[in-house]
Amino acid sequence: MSTLRQAAIGRLRAWAARRHGSDSLPIKINRRRIYILPTRVGLMLALTLVAMLIAGLNYNSNLGLAFAFLMVGVALVTMHHCNRNLLGLQVDAAAEVDAFAGRDADFTFVLRNDSKVDRCDVEIRCQTACGTRTVAALSSESVAVAVPVARRGVIHLEQFELRTRYPFGWFHAWTYVQGSLTAHVAPAPRGTRILPAAGGLGSLSRSEARGDEDFAGLRAYEPGVPLKHMAWKVLARGGEAAVRSYSSLAAQPEWLEWSSLEGQLTEDRLSQLCLWVLESDSAQRIYGLRIPGKEIPLGRGSTHRIACLRALAAYEP
Amino acid sequence: MNHKPISFDHLLGVSACLAMAVAAHLGSLPVWVLVTVAMAGGIRLLLAYRGRSAPPRAIRLAVAALAIALVFAQFRTFNGLSAGTALLALMAGLKLFEAETPRDIYIVTLSIYFLSVSALLQSDSFWLLAYLIVILWLTTASLLRLTTRHSGPDWRRALRYAGRILVQGLPLALALWLLFPRLAAPLWHLPDDGSSAATGLSDTLSPGDIDQLVQSDEVAFRVRFAAAPPPPLERYWRGPVMHDFDGHTWRRAYSGGAAPPLQPQGPAYRYTVSMEPHRHNWIFALDWPARWDLPGGRLTGDYTLVQRDPLSRPIDVAVTSYTHVQNPAALGTLLRKRDTAPLRGNPRTLQFAHTLRAQHPDDVEYLRSVLAIFTQQPFYYTLTPPKLAGNSVDAFLFDTKRGFCGHYASAFAVLMRAAGIPAHIVTGYQGGTFNRFADYWIVRQSDAHAWVEVWIEGQGWLRIDPTSAIAPNRVEQSAAGALSADEPLVSRWQRRTPWLADTRLRLDALGQLWRERILLFDQDSQSRLLEWLHIPEPDGQKLVLVMAAALTLVMCWLTWSVRREIEPARRELLLRAYSRLCAKLAAVGIPRPLHEGAEAYAMRVAERRPDLGPTVAALCRQYSRLRYGAAGARITVAQFDAAVRAFRPRARTRAARA
Repeated sequence: MSTLRQAAIGRLRAWAARRHGSDSLPIKINRRRIYILPTRVGLMLALTLVAMLIAGLNYNSNLGLAFAFLMVGVALVTMHHCNRNLLGLQVDAAAEVDAFAGRDADFTFVLRNDSKVDRCDVEIRCQTACGTRTVAALSSESVAVAVPVARRGVIHLEQFELRTRYPFGWFHAWTYVQGSLTAHVAPAPRGTRILPAAGGLGSLSRSEARGDEDFAGLRAYEPGVPLKHMAWKVLARGGEAAVRSYSSLAAQPEWLEWSSLEGQLTEDRLSQLCLWVLESDSAQRIYGLRIPGKEIPLGRGSTHRIACLRALAAYEP
Repeated sequence: MNHKPISFDHLLGVSACLAMAVAAHLGSLPVWVLVTVAMAGGIRLLLAYRGRSAPPRAIRLAVAALAIALVFAQFRTFNGLSAGTALLALMAGLKLFEAETPRDIYIVTLSIYFLSVSALLQSDSFWLLAYLIVILWLTTASLLRLTTRHSGPDWRRALRYAGRILVQGLPLALALWLLFPRLAAPLWHLPDDGSSAATGLSDTLSPGDIDQLVQSDEVAFRVRFAAAPPPPLERYWRGPVMHDFDGHTWRRAYSGGAAPPLQPQGPAYRYTVSMEPHRHNWIFALDWPARWDLPGGRLTGDYTLVQRDPLSRPIDVAVTSYTHVQNPAALGTLLRKRDTAPLRGNPRTLQFAHTLRAQHPDDVEYLRSVLAIFTQQPFYYTLTPPKLAGNSVDAFLFDTKRGFCGHYASAFAVLMRAAGIPAHIVTGYQGGTFNRFADYWIVRQSDAHAWVEVWIEGQGWLRIDPTSAIAPNRVEQSAAGALSADEPLVSRWQRRTPWLADTRLRLDALGQLWRERILLFDQDSQSRLLEWLHIPEPDGQKLVLVMAAALTLVMCWLTWSVRREIEPARRELLLRAYSRLCAKLAAVGIPRPLHEGAEAYAMRVAERRPDLGPTVAALCRQYSRLRYGAAGARITVAQFDAAVRAFRPRARTRAARA
């Protein structure tokens, strides 16, 4: 039964994908793409309504019929309200997200509601993971859907689903969005080798990696940072909370080399490189990455880090 | 399915709704069912309040099995409305008892809906319908709170939302109710489970029965005459006829097959009797009914109109009666034997009758002399006669001499039979109150009456009302008019407070309207509705077509009205206001071409009409800011709209043109 259901849903998704083509985000959910069916409770309600109707007709009770018809009216209005809960909603999503193998990829969506009514309990579903939000009238909400990713690689999510059972759980309205989202799943950062120092000596311990002698630049605020390191001027100008970072080694460039990890398995090498990238980044060093078929030139900062991690994610032996 | 655990709040809401729905069955469900449901809900709520989960499975199963067994022991069936309702109420209570997941609550809400309908199946009350719609509203609101997982609305907003949905559902409900085809006959026979007791006259008559009945102000039936009603003296509404007398109580007997046809004389009276469900099978028709519009209706041998089954629902019967008829030539031997059956008991009365009969061998003279006894001797018409035991007629005629119509009718019939004249007692109603606000007659239990019919050779059955001999007012006015002022009669207060009586009549007229328009809405009413819509030769098929059309219209309206709410409204208001501004400027001769932007337009206006320039420039700047600017618009759309409304450019004056 469950496999049959799965197969039916699979075909429906494929059909919807063919029907709507690919969508360019952001999109506004129009009525042609909202599907609606009664839930199991809704089917039970339908049975109850039929029983009410037969009872009312058989007992020739006009009041019983009036009540039953009122219930029918309420059920049909509810269907419209369920459908409306998705109608006209605008959906946007971050096209590319980054993640590490064995953790969750946080696909981030933005739901925007231009109308005067609240959109309650809108659920975004990617594969098996989902996130639920209520989007108040004339506002927008962001939803992070944590999709567990087991393995390294570049994952394409061709389709995600918006669904709702609001208001009474009798109906289930949903829509498929063909937005191609990508998760760059970097290898799980792990390894035993110490970060190679400039010149390949590899003699520095990690505790020395972040000194406070020389000002090295700004990095994002994280809780627990000493207050004297806060970049108050930046904050006062209306910028993000930032922290001044100092490093004695920041200026010394280094290359993270695939070839330096000779003799290990491919995935272990990638994991080690990933760990080094993260360590170098948090130490505010200038670093570059060399793996077969790809070279990321020397650089620093979050864009650089992401480029390195994506290169690791996309590596194909 | 949503697997979050349910909270105390959810349970409380649904328990309250279930309690209200079960309360609608108060009086028809056995008390132990109510108690069980209340206890199940109470225990579960208490557990939830303490943060504990439902009782263990073994206990729940045992309680459920016990409840089912008890229902079966009580009703001997699960079929039928009472047993089914009891079972449903119990199952809903036990479901609440074991509620752990939202699904359990969903099932309880479905039970609440069905319990509501089953309460309505046996009732005709507007108030019950209103009460149950309130329950529907509350239940649906608590369902909303159960369904919304993420920051659900609070109670007030949930109620408002559910109320909106209810109101939006009304047009659909109305269309369905008006046009959904009704069944001419039930799909299956409805067992009358006798859950409510019979009311009104019964099929026995003992001294004192009618005295009891007359003190009730309850409505027995209502009558609407097609034309003028018969004079008061002819308003006898015929009920069950009694033949067997055991010395104390009269009972019904073999009614003699089909009624011999009567030859009508005088005017025909056409009228509609609106019967209340009194749980007997007779219909009160004016003496003597000739034609009637009642499926399965017939006349008994003694001209009482009956139907096959006891009345469990209010019905309207159209009847034609003649107050003057010619009787058939001869009385069948069987009937004669029945109505002259030897009497038991009451020896003094029999003795007296024999003496009197010896003096008056002629039937009519004998009859007159008996009536004369009632008028000449000090008989007294009272609602509170002394209790009579044993030979009731003896005691009444010779000792107490105080009685109500039943006593007189009984004594008179006994005296007739003792003389060999066929006689029986007819029970029914006499008179009625006219409701001048809606042109119909109300016959109440206080109009209950008993009279006698005797067979006189050559004349047939004659109605003799001995009460009229003692208290003529009873027949001409009502029991209240005939009784002395200190009698305990409910209806008397009405005379003292006429405005209250008027209000009551108005309310009754409203009730009658409810009954005619709502309760008795049927296939005929639907055909009349189609005729009113100018649809020729209405039939079931056309009805379904009209229903489909009406539902389509209503659904279109619904779709439109539901979707209208999600239009991006703020922007729309801005655009409307701006186009109003353009229209006002066009009216003074400066229309805006479609391609022209707001700022350019403002400049052009300033060139042509320097007097309007600054105002229009300001308005157009505000519009641009509101429409395209991010922040920084110093006024809201509503203020802009108000400013545009206030802007009244005057057409260029002659002086300015010069």
